[in-house]
Amino acid sequence: MRKTLLMPTIILLGVFLICFWISAGAVQSHDAIVFCQERQIHTIDPAKMTYLQDIQVAEGLWEGLLQFAPGTLKPIAGVARSWTISKNRLKYVFHLKRNARWSNGQRVTSRDFVFEWKRVLQPHTGAGYVFLYFHIAGAEKYFNSLSRHPHHHLAFSSVGIKAPSPQELIVTLNRPCSYFLDLMAFPPFFPLDRRVMEQYKAVTDGVTGYNPIWTRPPHLISNGAYKLLRWRFHQFLELVPNPYYDQRTQVKCRQLKVVSYEDATAAFLAYRSGVINVLGFIPNSLGPALVREARDGLRHDVHIRPVFGTAFLNLNCQRGVLKNRLVREALSLAINRHALVKNVLRMPDVPVHVLVPPNTIAGYHSPHGMGFDPKLARALLRRAGYPGGRGIPPLKYLTVAQAPVAARMAEAIGEMWRKELGVQIVIDSEEGKIYQEDRVHGNFDVSDSGWYGDYPDPSTWLDLFLTGNPNNDSHFSSSTYDAMLRRASLERNSHRRLALLSRAEALLVNKDFPVVPLYQLADGMIYNRASIAGIAPNFRMMTLLKYIRYR
Amino acid sequence: MLRFIVHRLLQSVLVLWLVYTCTFWLLMAAPGDPFVGRKQPPPAIIAALKARYGLNDPVRAYWRYPEVVLLHGDLGPTISYSNWSVAAVIKNTLPVSMALGALALAFALWLGVAAGLIGAVFKGRWIDRVLTTGCLAAISIPNFIFGSVLLILFAVDTTVLPSGGWGSFRQLILPAATLGVTYWAILARLMRESTWDVLQSDYIRTARAKGNSPVRILSRHAAPNASLPILAFLGPAAAGILTGSFVVEKLFAVPGMGYVFVNACLNKDIPLVLGITMVYTVILVMMNMLADVACAMADPRIAING
Repeated sequence: MRKTLLMPTIILLGVFLICFWISAGAVQSHDAIVFCQERQIHTIDPAKMTYLQDIQVAEGLWEGLLQFAPGTLKPIAGVARSWTISKNRLKYVFHLKRNARWSNGQRVTSRDFVFEWKRVLQPHTGAGYVFLYFHIAGAEKYFNSLSRHPHHHLAFSSVGIKAPSPQELIVTLNRPCSYFLDLMAFPPFFPLDRRVMEQYKAVTDGVTGYNPIWTRPPHLISNGAYKLLRWRFHQFLELVPNPYYDQRTQVKCRQLKVVSYEDATAAFLAYRSGVINVLGFIPNSLGPALVREARDGLRHDVHIRPVFGTAFLNLNCQRGVLKNRLVREALSLAINRHALVKNVLRMPDVPVHVLVPPNTIAGYHSPHGMGFDPKLARALLRRAGYPGGRGIPPLKYLTVAQAPVAARMAEAIGEMWRKELGVQIVIDSEEGKIYQEDRVHGNFDVSDSGWYGDYPDPSTWLDLFLTGNPNNDSHFSSSTYDAMLRRASLERNSHRRLALLSRAEALLVNKDFPVVPLYQLADGMIYNRASIAGIAPNFRMMTLLKYIRYR
Repeated sequence: MLRFIVHRLLQSVLVLWLVYTCTFWLLMAAPGDPFVGRKQPPPAIIAALKARYGLNDPVRAYWRYPEVVLLHGDLGPTISYSNWSVAAVIKNTLPVSMALGALALAFALWLGVAAGLIGAVFKGRWIDRVLTTGCLAAISIPNFIFGSVLLILFAVDTTVLPSGGWGSFRQLILPAATLGVTYWAILARLMRESTWDVLQSDYIRTARAKGNSPVRILSRHAAPNASLPILAFLGPAAAGILTGSFVVEKLFAVPGMGYVFVNACLNKDIPLVLGITMVYTVILVMMNMLADVACAMADPRIAING
């Protein structure tokens, strides 16, 4: 007995001890602030990132020419100590600090920026935000020539990015861009240490890439408030202050651990037991209860606010009855947004009838959207030739599985359409990647969707509905709309430009209805203000890790 | 013995190839595009990425993959975690799943054998009935429900134990118990039946007639033979506990390989799914072989021939 079972037991315990020793090894420190993000890190390569959780970490590790100011998120001096903008607003000259350093002590120069910006413009780098570079003169042409003729492409010197000296960077734009300085604080425009990157260069099949190990400690070299000390896959990233950072007196947190949990409820339990100090999101399933407790004054750690995001429905303008503008308008008018938010979501999201979240962009006046008007909706449907919804086949409503709220939302909207218009829907609930594929390829009549703005300008929303935009899921195409946006992009007067954009938005939400805006998203964080300071919940949901500290 | 091992290894190569072929073509046939996301980059970027991962030409990719694995010992880059290669992901998550699985199985093994012996000795009495009911419940209750109940009892209503995570031994107790409980029940049932059978055999009667004490009969004479089925079951159980841990990993925020695997399937991260499937297959084949060899070593009646 002992002999037979002793061996397996020894093996099992041996395996356990060895594996546990290899995988755990993390020393719990009481100094550390543990910050929990909603999702796992996809990448910490600033060139490639498009997700908030990646961007937040990058903002802590790197610093661009400019950086975001705490609270307001206005761009302020970063690696660049000053800059000048030419009168025609096309030429930007950045003067770099002399004491900006990498975490290995080397100086940050304008050549590091040029190196990384050039890397972003290579199609095989896979930079999701490459289109933000297309404001720069020659950048789009260079990118396209690289993707079409990899061996006979244009020279990089044709792009308006020049480094005449290590302390000077000159950028020339195609056309004025009111938010260009804001982009300079955004990860796709961060620098990388070109001398360090040289060590990881690897050429495969004639394409220059970099061994991904450069992103992991101790290889990763950054120039921001923190450096990356350790990164355990799916466990944590451990950030410690960068000793060479020129504003290191502003960094008060001695050790920052960034974690994420697969299960939002598990994350909340960990927060409750004190393992996590800051929960950077509100768990969906607990949201309504937490909000209610906060409203009743039972808890003071829930900080929630409307953010720079909108939930909406895409109406497929190239398919069946929805080709008819009147049908789309009727569908939009028959949805009672207030009822949806109050009874289905039960969160502080704000019902809206416009796409760009109102009052989030200085100087931009949202158009008046169309409210809930079932009577008019029925009349429109009659005018379109479908009285009482007769003749309209059941609409395919595409939604994502694993999101209980989305399913309830679909049912509620379907019921409103059935009751008010006699229009039926078939809910198609699909796995994430399949949903995305069907959405992109227009394999739906109605799909739920949402968008978070990337930069404080209406174009981050309105460009979505340009003909041929890869994110134009409604497959909307209007020459009038395209022309309006083009005119706006050429307009040098900021007020007139915003007025033009407002008229373009009116076209979407009052006339053509490729999109049915539902509500402005609310999002938040959970942390105790009595112990944690330096966080300013803001409309872009960006937590600047640099300023986070114990009180 | 050597011939047996060589024979089994050759069989394993065939098994691996079959598993690889099925997985690869199923992945190719499955809907969903790994490069499609909420924010779609320009088409040129997607085309460049597809080319980089060699997914433009499935037939070429099918032959190229084993070549790269065998010649360079490299499982390639992942799609959804581009900073980590498939090998790095496995290196970081497999030890977590293995540590959890080993602890769960050790716990299941000892408690299972103990419960089985008690059940066999007191067959039909109240304690046996309690244990049988317990086993039935443990087998039929899905582990996400059992885990949730443990969470509510020990981490929500009281804060006796942490709700999950990875790093300290205390964090392991709840997930290991959840993961091990089904195997505990199976092992207890197996042990009970086999001990009961052995206790009826002639040599036990002889041992009794010789005046051995009941404890000695059980521990020296009955249990060694009765635990042979247990030994045979441990191989598949070890493989099963390792490959079936994703629910527990999610519930208790354990950064193991099971959940990465499920996510990789959902994200259609083809290189990662292939890599982990191959690792799982190797583990499964190895564990079964190990269990066969261990049984042969423990029981001279089992002859191993090639």
